Amino acid sequence: MKHIAIVTVLVALLTIVTNYFLLSVGLLPVEASTQATIIDKLFNTHFFIISFLFSLISVFMIYSLIVFRNKKGQDEDGKFVTGSTKLEILWTIIPLATVISFSYLGAKSLAETRIINPQAMTINVTASQWAWSFEYPDFEITSNTLYLPVDNQVNLQMTSLDVIHSFWVPEFRVKQDVLPGENLVKELRFTPSIIGDYTLMCAELCGGAHAYMNSPVKVVSEADFQSWVDLESKADDLNPVQKGEKLVKNNGCIGCHTLDGSASVGPTWLGLSGSEKSLMDGEKIIVDDKYLMSSILNPNQDIVQNFSPNIMPSIYADLFSKEELEDIIAFINSLH
Amino acid sequence: MKRVWSIGIIRGLIFQLFGTGIGVIFFTTIRTILGLGWKTEPTIVVGGLFGAIFFLIGLGAFTDWWRAALGQEVLEPHEAHKFNGIRRYFEFTLDHKVIGIQYGVLSMILLSVGGSLALIFRVELASSGLQILNFVQFNTLVGLHGMVLIISILTGISAVSNYLIPLLIGADDMAFPRLNAFSFWIAIPASLILLSAMFFGGFETGWTAYPPLSVRGPMGIQMFFLGVYFAGWSSILGSLNLITTILKMRSPGMKMFRLPILTWSVLATSIMALTATQLIGLSFQLVMFERLLGMGFFTPSEGGNPVLFQHLFWFYSHPAVYIFILPGLGIISELLPVFVRKPLFGYKWVAMSSLAIALTSFLVWGHHMFTAGIEEYLRVPFMYSTLLVAVPTGVKFFSWVATLWQGKARFPVPMLFTLGAIIVFLMGGLTGPPAGTVSTDLHLHDTYFIVGHFHDTMFGGFVFPIFAAIYYWYPKITGRKLNETLGKIHFYLMTPSFLLMTFGQMRIGLLGMRRRIADYDPNLGFDSTHLLITIGGFLIAISVLVFFVNLIRSAKKGEIAEGNIWNSRSPEWSLLPSPAPINNYENREFRVVGNPYDYGLTGSKYVELIKSEEIKNEVES
Amino acid sequence: MSSIQPSINQIQKKLAISRLGLWLFFASDSFMFGGLLISRFYLLGNQKIELNQFLGLVVTSVLLVSSFFMNRAEVMISRDNKKGFLTSLLITILLGIVFLVGVVGLEWRDAHFGPADGAQGAVFYMMTGMHAFHVLTGIIFLLFVLRNGINGKFNAENHFMVEASANYWHFVDVVWIIFYPALYLMGS
Repeated sequence: MKHIAIVTVLVALLTIVTNYFLLSVGLLPVEASTQATIIDKLFNTHFFIISFLFSLISVFMIYSLIVFRNKKGQDEDGKFVTGSTKLEILWTIIPLATVISFSYLGAKSLAETRIINPQAMTINVTASQWAWSFEYPDFEITSNTLYLPVDNQVNLQMTSLDVIHSFWVPEFRVKQDVLPGENLVKELRFTPSIIGDYTLMCAELCGGAHAYMNSPVKVVSEADFQSWVDLESKADDLNPVQKGEKLVKNNGCIGCHTLDGSASVGPTWLGLSGSEKSLMDGEKIIVDDKYLMSSILNPNQDIVQNFSPNIMPSIYADLFSKEELEDIIAFINSLH
Repeated sequence: MKRVWSIGIIRGLIFQLFGTGIGVIFFTTIRTILGLGWKTEPTIVVGGLFGAIFFLIGLGAFTDWWRAALGQEVLEPHEAHKFNGIRRYFEFTLDHKVIGIQYGVLSMILLSVGGSLALIFRVELASSGLQILNFVQFNTLVGLHGMVLIISILTGISAVSNYLIPLLIGADDMAFPRLNAFSFWIAIPASLILLSAMFFGGFETGWTAYPPLSVRGPMGIQMFFLGVYFAGWSSILGSLNLITTILKMRSPGMKMFRLPILTWSVLATSIMALTATQLIGLSFQLVMFERLLGMGFFTPSEGGNPVLFQHLFWFYSHPAVYIFILPGLGIISELLPVFVRKPLFGYKWVAMSSLAIALTSFLVWGHHMFTAGIEEYLRVPFMYSTLLVAVPTGVKFFSWVATLWQGKARFPVPMLFTLGAIIVFLMGGLTGPPAGTVSTDLHLHDTYFIVGHFHDTMFGGFVFPIFAAIYYWYPKITGRKLNETLGKIHFYLMTPSFLLMTFGQMRIGLLGMRRRIADYDPNLGFDSTHLLITIGGFLIAISVLVFFVNLIRSAKKGEIAEGNIWNSRSPEWSLLPSPAPINNYENREFRVVGNPYDYGLTGSKYVELIKSEEIKNEVES
Repeated sequence: MSSIQPSINQIQKKLAISRLGLWLFFASDSFMFGGLLISRFYLLGNQKIELNQFLGLVVTSVLLVSSFFMNRAEVMISRDNKKGFLTSLLITILLGIVFLVGVVGLEWRDAHFGPADGAQGAVFYMMTGMHAFHVLTGIIFLLFVLRNGINGKFNAENHFMVEASANYWHFVDVVWIIFYPALYLMGS
């Protein structure tokens, strides 16, 4: 009985110390959304249970290993106890109750993170290897930076052009895989609560440059958001090269094609037009507007040596209008 | 030359090489006849398939079956001990002890290979930026690290169960010795094919091989699929054999609740491996066919659904985790009573908890898909079932602690590893629930937190226990003990390094480090932690090297183990000399007269020899 | 050969072990077929696959009848009727071949979609292909049984090979009984 009393005190002390340590060491990033606050509350409950169970098992173990161990010169057997049905039932029922209540808390917390605000702003998110693109249907804006007004719920309608990606901003906590397929558009809602700059990362291995599939996220005040919308809407008076630049940046082209001559998955665009290339079958060609156009529309034809087929999606005929394609080519031609 | 040719494994490997060639030529000929040109991807698949079958033909795996199918006489397994000495380890041998060691050696080789792959990419990750690897290389290494170690673990638990189960239950061999040898030998071409993925362009998908990514990209993925497929058959047939052995071949008097506790874990594991493994085979096969024939299972633009793959895949790959750990937990339960000289607390509860874990494991696969976009109504039920696993696991922990309580613990190396296993597995167990409740998992999914949690469960549930088992049963295999000092160096180096590694992983995971990325933003401030993780990884590797040195050195120079060195009640120690004789309990048939773990009860016996005049009656009845 | 003749008990024990092994294999294999079945409903749901209903009915009947003859063969050998055993076995094998020709030879040619034509093609060819592969292996087993039967290797006491092949044949038949409605009848 004496041993049990000592161990109980030790378990209580260690629980408090461990829990204090876990809470004070800063385990989670900033809570920058209302969902993060809800989720972190559950995290903290978890941390408490972890501290308690850790202390319970380790104190009992270490105490009995030290106190009851076979001392030098002894060779004794331990106490003959084969079990106790009462204890077994106890430590089946109590954990069972605990996990059921945790499941309940988990379900409740999930429901809270998913509360729908009908006024939420819809943004269509398109992921592709290896870039993000955000379309604001209310304002007819497409951007490669996710601008969000603070304290307003956003409703992301997410789809992918190729493989599975996953939308994750650690500070917002919530995560949702982005699947290809028209019937598999996934929704993610959250409410950013702190103004600042964050990074959106792809959390599902999507091949190649998965590590670099990031996009800036800017949570701004409502006024700043409005002025950004105004600025972006005045895109009509741009010249073709500027329009092309905007298109390639917003549609993920520069995820694979660099603008500064460095090597990447696809050929760099610096100095591309007018240059001479050898194709896979050995034929030599001069890169002109016609070749650029056919390469965008049918990427698997006429591949230049040292590049592989089936990497670039064959979707751009549907995605871009003829004028837009010409703008893009104008932009590529401007890179020397 | 003839001498070399007579060695089974060499013959098998040469046959595999030729078989691959024959497959390639055969397939190319057919394509040419049909007027089609060369196409690399299907050709290497056919080549790999032929290679594996030819390996087994060359080895002689089919000889006896072929004779039996033709109705000819084949030798009884115990009469078929054709080889002696070191030679028998390189042959298609039927003795379960030899097969156990073959499995063990393969497992340790794969452990070294898989671990070394991790060291390579840990160097890459030690600081931000890309230093030594490109993206495809990194992804290939990550994927192979996972799958090579999974096969290492599967062969490791097969090693333990093959060597020990017949000895523990007093059987003269496994139920189907030829199938048993077949299950081992198919794992060799499987491993070779899997590793050959590196030479066919690698693959980008990690070990989970999610489509549509796996439908695109380099064709090394086909070798990955093929290797896993064969390894899966090894696992399925091995567990079929074990279940039959455990249910049908026990010694007289060995009721189910008098089985050594490890046997219960192996039974539970085998039930899962027998059934669930089919689903990973199927899911990989479907992707393989999607790539080869354009069948639209998983690509939405072809009418498929990528989420289906995840359901099929995780229906195996979650139970797989319990397949990996249950034998390890069984080893913990088996060794603890010996070293604290006290009965296992609540034997029946511990035995039943293994079955409970096995059954629950079939209901929880969806927790890998909380963020995957599965049907909304599935997430909460899967959360309930997932957390339910904590109950039987808790029973095991509490029973271990109660076994330790007031036990007269002594601390030879196997006991150290057993205790290490409990602590490390506790870390894995405690970090599970946050990943099991949906809303917290939204943050944790696909981060280094999961990586840390997972390595905790694998080390606590497999690596530490298997080391404990090797230190404990090595004398039964070789007749010599492993060196205690080297063993302690191994333990005291590995445990803190390992904890450093996984705590580091979980720490940065919580802060936002994603899984499977070759490079990370230096602004996140993870560089120093990553460096520590890498150092931890290398220290583990060094400690395992110490272990290998010990293994090899002690085989010749170790202290001779005579008699029941651990003072254990189980039959292989109390009745058999070391090393274990070739025909197990021949002329030492025993019957079970007591409970397996009644340490501290004076005068009680677990097993007693059957007097020779009684043998005939006992065996007959 | 063993110098001691194995006792009746040992033979019984060996048989029981072999039977358990066989049924465990069926349990394992049925998970694979189950996975295929689930894939069919996950991908196609209530969509009906357009197939030749008449042909489907014919091959299903053929396979069912073959199972009947398989059973007869097993009963015959357990009564030591070797001639009846061989006849029934031969009929089983022939019906099995008719089934294979029906599915692979006719239905595959007849279907107006290929394996690469969407989820429908993928599911249909994978399910029938996987089942046909099992039927094919079953026929191969039965050919071995036939050969040994002609050579007089079986009698009433000793015919586990017949029993195992027969059970395998019935198992594959049961799989088709579940696959047939899933492929031919269900959906709208």
